[in-house]
Amino acid sequence: MSDPNPTRGHGFALRFTLNGSATSVEVDPRETLFDTLRERLRLTGTKGACLEGECGSCTVLLDGAPVTSCLVMAPQVDGRSVVTVEGLAEGARLSALQAAFVRAGAVQCGYCTPGLLVAATALLRDNPRPTVDEVRRGLAGNLCRCTGYTKIIDAVLDAARVTAEEKA
Amino acid sequence: MINIGRSVTRGDVQGKVTGETRYGGDLMGPEVLTATVIRAPHPHARVLGLDLDAARAVPGVVAILGREDIGGSNRHGLIKRDHPVFCDDRVRYLGDAVGVVVATSIEAARAARDAVVVLHEPLPIVATMADAVAEGAPSLHEFGNVLATQLIRKGDAERALSEADAVVTCVFKMQGVDHAFLDIEAGYAEMVDDVITIHASGQWVHEEQRLIALALGVPLERVRLVQPPTGGAFGGREDISIQIYLGLAALKLGRPVRMQYTREESMVARHKRHPMEVEYTLGAMADGTFTAAKVLIRSDEGAYASTGPAVLRKAVSHCTGPYRVPNVTADGVALFTNNCPTGAMRGFGACQLAIAYEGAVLAMARRLGVDVVALKRKNLLRDGEQLTTTQVVPVASGLDCLDAALTRFGWEGRRTDAPAPHLRRGYGVSTICFGVGYGDGYPDASRGRVRFAEDGVLEVYSGGVEVGQGLHSLLAQIAGEDFGIASSEVRVIASDTHATPESGSSSATRQTVFSGNAVKLAAGEVHRQVLDAAAVMLGLHWEDLAVRGDRVVGLHDGGVSATLSSVLRAARERGFALDATSVYKPRTVAPTDETGRSPRAFLTYMFGSHVAEVLVDIETGEVRVQRIVAAHDLGKAINPREVAGQIEGGVAQGLGMALMEEVVTRQGRIANASFTDYIIPTILDVPTIEAVIVERPDLEGPYGARGIGEPPLIGAVPAILAAISDAIGLPVHETPATAERVWRILRSASPTAPLSGS
Repeated sequence: MSDPNPTRGHGFALRFTLNGSATSVEVDPRETLFDTLRERLRLTGTKGACLEGECGSCTVLLDGAPVTSCLVMAPQVDGRSVVTVEGLAEGARLSALQAAFVRAGAVQCGYCTPGLLVAATALLRDNPRPTVDEVRRGLAGNLCRCTGYTKIIDAVLDAARVTAEEKA
Repeated sequence: MINIGRSVTRGDVQGKVTGETRYGGDLMGPEVLTATVIRAPHPHARVLGLDLDAARAVPGVVAILGREDIGGSNRHGLIKRDHPVFCDDRVRYLGDAVGVVVATSIEAARAARDAVVVLHEPLPIVATMADAVAEGAPSLHEFGNVLATQLIRKGDAERALSEADAVVTCVFKMQGVDHAFLDIEAGYAEMVDDVITIHASGQWVHEEQRLIALALGVPLERVRLVQPPTGGAFGGREDISIQIYLGLAALKLGRPVRMQYTREESMVARHKRHPMEVEYTLGAMADGTFTAAKVLIRSDEGAYASTGPAVLRKAVSHCTGPYRVPNVTADGVALFTNNCPTGAMRGFGACQLAIAYEGAVLAMARRLGVDVVALKRKNLLRDGEQLTTTQVVPVASGLDCLDAALTRFGWEGRRTDAPAPHLRRGYGVSTICFGVGYGDGYPDASRGRVRFAEDGVLEVYSGGVEVGQGLHSLLAQIAGEDFGIASSEVRVIASDTHATPESGSSSATRQTVFSGNAVKLAAGEVHRQVLDAAAVMLGLHWEDLAVRGDRVVGLHDGGVSATLSSVLRAARERGFALDATSVYKPRTVAPTDETGRSPRAFLTYMFGSHVAEVLVDIETGEVRVQRIVAAHDLGKAINPREVAGQIEGGVAQGLGMALMEEVVTRQGRIANASFTDYIIPTILDVPTIEAVIVERPDLEGPYGARGIGEPPLIGAVPAILAAISDAIGLPVHETPATAERVWRILRSASPTAPLSGS
């Protein structure tokens, strides 16, 4: 992949699995995973509202665990697996969580949505039928300024229900 | 109805859940430069010059631009045009800009910015409103430190207070609040032929286009503003932010430029909600009937005017809220300081005064020993009564909302037990009102265009910006309604100065009524053209025909029909444009200078009522909101699910303002300009919010709708404060009611209580 930003630093040949695909990219060892994803790989679905680990907008899965990509240095993911919001849908089909967010009206400005979807994906994987309190605790690291969270909780519970019904 | 009143899915959410939506900061391109702003070295200083030698030597620096590069007024500002793009010889707050660095990377731009030496001579800092009016205070603007004054004179408040059976006086202090939208200011600009094309998020693209053109000294048509998808606004994008810097850099360098603030820069540079101090005196007869109010308001304007005069007018005109008060004296003053400028934010002015009048009503209930809900019932306006401005309100639905909220809450059955000895349970009720739109005689207008495109798709064009609230989906619902076309089938073209008509600002809860009406009028005209053509084709009167999706059918004769496409073709052959632009421009009346009264200060008023339940830890002062019911009369919910979303989001912001959010400013410096230190509510802080929709149709709004944006925040803050007050039995008149403040209130009433933590 050609580097769209040639003036950035280089020096580390990063190899990792990104949304299921083997990926190689030359990075500056001092840059964050957040910058690698957005600035080098142009995966701009991952958002950043604070860049100090407070807002959760930049949440991605690192070997399945939700992390704030603004606090992960790019070389730390070498040889590991990263999933971003772009990797949640199965082809053209929205994931159960994405579809539930749409149905519930859990999306207003949408800026927190990618991070919330990633965090909620990990939550439901570990706890397929969470209570309201468990949803709250699982998403406590993700700020939303528009919705008041009510419809986000509805959406996660709805996705859990739909997934359970599909499996039944 | 096919669209109106239905919870349709918005057209913009698919891209938002997949990550495909491109916000301002997501716009990139090859060979794009990056700009960053050089800001003031001190909150108040005389600027002697810039030493740029070290900055210019930083590798990757392309240009350092400043006021000598600007060909126009070098000013912006929504009301007074007093805010310099680049300061001349004086900086008035830490967000003031003195130049902009353009470089090949953000790292290079920041390194160069940090290498700039701003030669300056510090001046005394006007840190507080008291400083602003102190003897010998430095004058921050040519005309001094008073930006604006505003008053109400109705009846004889002094006399009525002297004759009242009960009088309460309370002093309120409200904090500065940050909008904290998540999508930090970011954008992209490039020259397209001769046109400076700027992709950046504001709230009113056409006004921003005017301000950019004036500041840069280029003709209006050479500035094109396109609003990308926007991650929240809440009033925080009303003032110009990055747009002029981006436009200047693209113009001067002829290359694409991008720009993105950091959270700290966003908080230091962007205007805030006005901190206000209010002294409120309320008088009543022994039976609880309010007789008079005397209200003194001081508002910290920060360094520049922003929308301050309008915020002050709103505060003063809303000073008695939804209550009947026959004698009112109100005096407001907005004072310049060296703090961050203050301006628009959800509920502007009306929100601060709701804290004051609801606090005073609660104090009066305590003074009279009566139930506050009963006191509200006695004094809430009824249909056809006059507000304090003397405006008659045809639908004064405060009581309807109060009843709806209390019923949903189960008010009569509320429990009073506490789950633990250190906790106290409390309940609070608010009733509020809010005037829709700019009002006060401002020539506020929206335009909307509706047409059938050549491919047969119904299109709606609006300059109004989508900032998360669902406006574009709502306009598609309205555009399609007459035709029986589902909103999902309507194509929306929006917020581009070179493609859409001017639709005013997405602020003041105005777009549903203003742009909704404009689009409804335009759709009605196109609808008549279609029916006229169909009438000729089908040999029926146009009133006996209706469009139903892809067919035109006889209303009374089901056997008569034609495809919509054949009717559209016939219409074009008859010379119908199938394209109409309408304007909605209702009249409001400016308040008089002598009395502040106006028979129509605002087009229409919205009422709301909240019930909050809290638990207060009397050992630590911590407050947990257990439950909030929020009832609002919005006339007609065009999209009920999205309306509930607006109510829930507004309540959560109100909870933040009531309990935790505070811009802490010391000597002109914001002490908490980060999300680590400026705390907004998380999912753990906000209870499930119960939105109750009351629908008493509006006389003006489309399908009876009034809008919903701001009132939910306004209602939440006083309800939560009242609940805390109920729990601890003491007044809470300062916001935010942090654990420390609540603990201090408890301790001041009971000085022998142990010190926290000891």
